[in-house]
Amino acid sequence: MTLLDFARGPALQGAAFIFVVGMVWRALGLLLLHRNTPLSRNRDNHLARHGFRTVLSRFIPAPVFERRVSFQYVAGWIWHLGFFVVLLFFKIHVMFFQGLLGFGWPTLPNGVVVAVAGITLGVLLWLLGRRIVNPVLRYISTFNDYSSLVVTMLPFITGFLAFAHYGFAYETMLALHILSISLLLVWFPFSKLIHVITLLPSRYILGVKFWRRGVQA
Amino acid sequence: MTEVVTKQELDEAFAMFYGMAASLKDLASPPVEVADEERVAAAKRVFLKGIDANFATQLDACVHCGACAQACQFYLGTDDPKYTPVHKLDLMKRVYDREISPLSWLKKFIVKDITADDLRAQQELVYDSCTMCGRCNLVCPAGINIADMVALNRSALAAARLMPDELRFMQEGQEADGTIFGADEDLFRFRMDALQEKLGFEIPIDKPKADVLLVTTGLDIHLFQDATGGTIETLHHMGVDYTLRSDAYEGANFGLLSGHEGTKKKMAAKLANAAIEVGAKVVIVPECGHAFPALRWGAAEALGKPVEFDVMTVSEYFGKAVMDGRLKLEKDKEPRVVALHDPCKVGRWGGVFEEPRAILKAIGWELHETESNRAYNFCCGGGAGNFLIERANPLKRAGYRVKMAEIEKTEAKTLVVSCGSCRMNFEVGKVNAGDTIPVESLAAIIAAHLPKKEGAKA
Repeated sequence: MTLLDFARGPALQGAAFIFVVGMVWRALGLLLLHRNTPLSRNRDNHLARHGFRTVLSRFIPAPVFERRVSFQYVAGWIWHLGFFVVLLFFKIHVMFFQGLLGFGWPTLPNGVVVAVAGITLGVLLWLLGRRIVNPVLRYISTFNDYSSLVVTMLPFITGFLAFAHYGFAYETMLALHILSISLLLVWFPFSKLIHVITLLPSRYILGVKFWRRGVQA
Repeated sequence: MTEVVTKQELDEAFAMFYGMAASLKDLASPPVEVADEERVAAAKRVFLKGIDANFATQLDACVHCGACAQACQFYLGTDDPKYTPVHKLDLMKRVYDREISPLSWLKKFIVKDITADDLRAQQELVYDSCTMCGRCNLVCPAGINIADMVALNRSALAAARLMPDELRFMQEGQEADGTIFGADEDLFRFRMDALQEKLGFEIPIDKPKADVLLVTTGLDIHLFQDATGGTIETLHHMGVDYTLRSDAYEGANFGLLSGHEGTKKKMAAKLANAAIEVGAKVVIVPECGHAFPALRWGAAEALGKPVEFDVMTVSEYFGKAVMDGRLKLEKDKEPRVVALHDPCKVGRWGGVFEEPRAILKAIGWELHETESNRAYNFCCGGGAGNFLIERANPLKRAGYRVKMAEIEKTEAKTLVVSCGSCRMNFEVGKVNAGDTIPVESLAAIIAAHLPKKEGAKA
């Protein structure tokens, strides 16, 4: 079995299994915890509607905070979007998904995807530098923060090298690329990357909490 | 309005009261010695009861982006990263990770257990440098309810008998006497008699039944008589069927502020039962920020069942009356330019924003809003009982400067507040900073603009 065979086969399958089981485990673990429900009367009803409103409104900062936090909201937006564009619209990725799912979808030209990937990696590198340099971020950052950033960057780095036929032989680089994705999948349930399933519910919870008191959060 | 207290009397009372408040630490009894293991066990019990599915989801949603620091006036005022709000949750996150998180089987081997020293170090983070104002909640991209989780931290520290001495003194005092600052029934009656004499009408106390139960607080009994007097005068003017109760007049709740669950519920239950007994439709809590949430959101929790009566703060009750035409106020001929402070517990945590503004509009005053207003308002810097914690003075000053900088930008000539402890904190902050802007009670302002009744003396 070559390294590429291993990466494509047991590594990726094993990682996907850990990802799915891990995410379900964490989601169930949260859902099954007890819930403290308030007894006091709501000031306003339509809680669900306003919970969802907060889910949406937190994609951008409130005007009063714009000056101080806009750049990090924008940086977050750029790299998350970039991640999905590269993952879902790169021709080779779509071919991979087609092999897996039996159907494909339109792709973006390679030049566009490479540019998006470059910007995404650039933003991630900048966020890593900022985490090291900014006093607040340096103070609150843990191994979880740094490792999650690096693990998220690795597929971009290996992907670039494979695409550019740089470094090791193409097959080896491709294997490393797939292994880096496997690592990312395994990392999800064990790290702060879990926020993909908790962040939006968290907003909803806050939206409901404040709206029952008559405040749009 | 009838002048129930002169400026000079108020200044003198303020000086005396401030002297008393500043000596609380020395008055506190020696802390009870508790074994470290017991402290940790007690704190953990509180954390594990308080961390429910909602809190757990929110703890797992943080990506450590640091945005919360940019909303916190203690970080903004000091530039010290240790005051980053979400950092204050690290301790409870460790308990969560090790004990009940879905990954606890793994985290037990990775995450360090909490110690009594960790709990002691946590005091500064959740008492001195946090007023649970909740502004960080509004900037967080993940919508994490940091402030309520800080409140849970206070409860854990209280269970571990690690409250700051000043708050412990206040909590123990209220647990024993039901009131604060020694404002016992004699003093309450003395103050009501004095107010009655000045106002020229009988103040109803202990009426068996009434539509409205009016509550005051030790702070107003000792100091801010203009706020209590203004409220009573306005209720009388409106012809409201109200009463005070000599056995349930204290609206402050140092159980809530200190994190002591037992005292919190006991005080809320006492007021709730009094309200039920008199058949009150509404309980009006005084201009005391935390008295509002203690009862509005705490009465049903304390009794373990929903309550029928409504709870309103002074600004809300009179603001609504102005908005629906039940209370007419006289406009000033020369409008004053004022700024308004939205107390965190009443505004951001209570939804009372437009009512005080309606009152200011009705009297023709020109409101210059601070840049951060309504739900985004900065705290006065000393809320949640912090104005009593002596060692937090530098932090209070830093928080005050951030707030006052916004007020100064408005070029307002007067600051209007509807919370006694905010008012107290502003007054102390002014003395320390050499600021001179007058700080006035909204309740007193309302009473000063009541239309004169026909035949009344000017």
